[in-house]
Amino acid sequence: MKRWLTFVSLLALLLTGMVSAHHSFSATYDTSKTATIEGKVVQFLLRNPHSFLHVAVTKDGKEQVWNIEWAAAGQLSGTIATSIRAGDPVTVNGNPARDPADLRLRMVNVRRTSDGANWGFAAGQFVN
Amino acid sequence: MNRGHLAFGMFLAACAAVGGQGLTPGQPAALGPTISGTDFSGSWRPNQLVTESQTAAGDLADFGGIPLNDAARLYALSWPASRQTVKQHQCMGYVTPYFWYAPGNYRIWEERDPFTQRLTAWRFYGQIAQGDRTVYMDGRPHPPAYAPHTFSGFSTGEYQGNTLTVTTTHLKRGWIKANGIPQSDAATVVEHFIRHGDMITILSVIDDPVYLSEPLSKASMVVRMAKDPDAWLYPCDDSEQIFGRKNDVVPNHLFGQNPYAREFADRRKIPLLAALGGAETMYPELGNALRDATAAENTAKARMVPSGPPAVSRASDPTPTDGEIHTMRVSGDVYLLAGDGANIAVQVGPQGAFVVDTGAGKLSDKVIAAIGRISARPIQFIVNTNFRPDHTGGNAQLQAAGADPSLTGTFFSMQFQGAGRGATIISQLNTQTRMTELKLPAPPSDTFVEDRRRKYHNGEAVEVFPQPNATTDGDSVVHFRRADVIVAGDVFSTTQYPNIDTQRGGSVQGTIQALNFILDRTVYIHDEDGGTLIIPGHGRVTDEWEVAEYRDMLVIVRDRVQSLIQSGATLQQVLAARPSADYDVRYGATKGPWTTAMFVEAVYTSLKTPPKAGTR
Repeated sequence: MKRWLTFVSLLALLLTGMVSAHHSFSATYDTSKTATIEGKVVQFLLRNPHSFLHVAVTKDGKEQVWNIEWAAAGQLSGTIATSIRAGDPVTVNGNPARDPADLRLRMVNVRRTSDGANWGFAAGQFVN
Repeated sequence: MNRGHLAFGMFLAACAAVGGQGLTPGQPAALGPTISGTDFSGSWRPNQLVTESQTAAGDLADFGGIPLNDAARLYALSWPASRQTVKQHQCMGYVTPYFWYAPGNYRIWEERDPFTQRLTAWRFYGQIAQGDRTVYMDGRPHPPAYAPHTFSGFSTGEYQGNTLTVTTTHLKRGWIKANGIPQSDAATVVEHFIRHGDMITILSVIDDPVYLSEPLSKASMVVRMAKDPDAWLYPCDDSEQIFGRKNDVVPNHLFGQNPYAREFADRRKIPLLAALGGAETMYPELGNALRDATAAENTAKARMVPSGPPAVSRASDPTPTDGEIHTMRVSGDVYLLAGDGANIAVQVGPQGAFVVDTGAGKLSDKVIAAIGRISARPIQFIVNTNFRPDHTGGNAQLQAAGADPSLTGTFFSMQFQGAGRGATIISQLNTQTRMTELKLPAPPSDTFVEDRRRKYHNGEAVEVFPQPNATTDGDSVVHFRRADVIVAGDVFSTTQYPNIDTQRGGSVQGTIQALNFILDRTVYIHDEDGGTLIIPGHGRVTDEWEVAEYRDMLVIVRDRVQSLIQSGATLQQVLAARPSADYDVRYGATKGPWTTAMFVEAVYTSLKTPPKAGTR
């Protein structure tokens, strides 16, 4: 009986950490950290399962293109899809990828610095 | 029957006893079963309570409670989430039972024969990944082993009392959990659907000889929605994600170097041995193994690197061995002929048959007869994708059975007695050279070196592309563009590691590039399913997903061998490190003409001494 209880307790622990998402963000990104980048939009990809924002960031005189994972196409179609344009200056906050070499972020929020337009700050704004 | 099965059976029986609202089970009839089982029709959503306890995704290195074998554990530990940025991994479909753990909506409906109103099929549609499953209820057999696999698989069903039991084969390699635990393409899944009012319990048993040491039982539950949610689409498009990444980069962790291997165990304060899974984590006796914490930790660490003797493939070779030639239409006018060594592809039409590879030549009479049954005209062209006898053994007989009318009656042809007699055989020059060197019969007469050879034949563009320094220095792949079928030759196999002949110009890097060449030409219909179809040199027909898997395998093994070389390892040390340990259960062999050791040695040799670019 004691062994069964130990086993059941262990099984419960094993199951506790599971999340319901089909696409495991915690496996892809370090959700305990937030990073900020500033740069110019290269392109906005309106896609499923998730959209992506590519942002060119100049660091030490070299340009890097960051890849920010955003919400699904259906969530972002409309205002965002028709508003963001290549060349827009933006500041992006996001959770960094577990592999830093990937230059990826999971979107937390984004602000266009030229006019102050922003997404992800207000309730009801979809970012993932 | 193991205890897992027994417990599952008791659960199943209990569910069937308390649930079920069906009518009397139907009687088999010549017209198919009458509909008498439980009705599952409607719109459904996942029950989050069940989904969260058995979710498909999971944390990194959270493998507990899954009877994965050593190879599957190594596979999962080698998987980084960064793999999802690779083009072919962005829109991966869902195999069952993973299918039932998606967050979207499900629709279930029945199909009936319009004239008899007999139930012919149940249809399951899942919004996420747009999985579209058909469960045939008319008693039809499952397709042959060499038929394509899909993420939905091929399902047949029957009522057992109030329970609908569905058996699915022909699944692709998918996930048991999307944290790297694979479900192989050799898996068979049996699902039991039990309805309780507005809920359906789906009890699934995965029997995977490749990655599981014993069957895995899972449960999911869906809840009926009173109103159609009007949300059924979720089309997935892959996109460019990591700028500047080369096409032979597939993110992976080297054995023993996954930085997150114990993250979940440490965070949850679970012994690492329990978190790393295996059949013992399903049973209470796990407590015995954990009693000595130090020993348990050491055991767990030992499981994070290969150990034990090399494994062999546990997947069945789909090639028929009954001495007959089996013909299957692949797409358009392109057919597969299987049963005589390497696969033979045949395109038919009003101009005459266009054949790619001629098999081993042991059953050539039957091959010719089979072509005669699908083509009213004789064979006009033959392409050899490489020189090997299992691809060219039938050259002489098939050539003799054909004719090339484009050569008769042409300029000067009357001066040459044999003009147009026999089919014309085409290949890359080095294939002709190798066959001549080896005195193999009927070498090609029409060659090319570095440019594609193209023909418009039977109303279809046909392109033959040389693949430098792939498995040999003379490989080609053939693309039938209207049918959208690519014949890959030996650069792709579903049954074994690529037969890289470093003595004849083959290399691992060239084979990777050949696979990437194929992937640059393929397009799927949705979620890595369908679209361009691939006939491998050996094994079953596939689409791009399996080619990508094979490319990934080759890149990952290359990376491991390269790392060992850089650390100064000798060939013997590389072999002892078992750099293909997680794939041996799928492609490995310890006997026969092409063993795992020979493959690893070929990778090692081609990395130590790469062929000169463009070697011919």
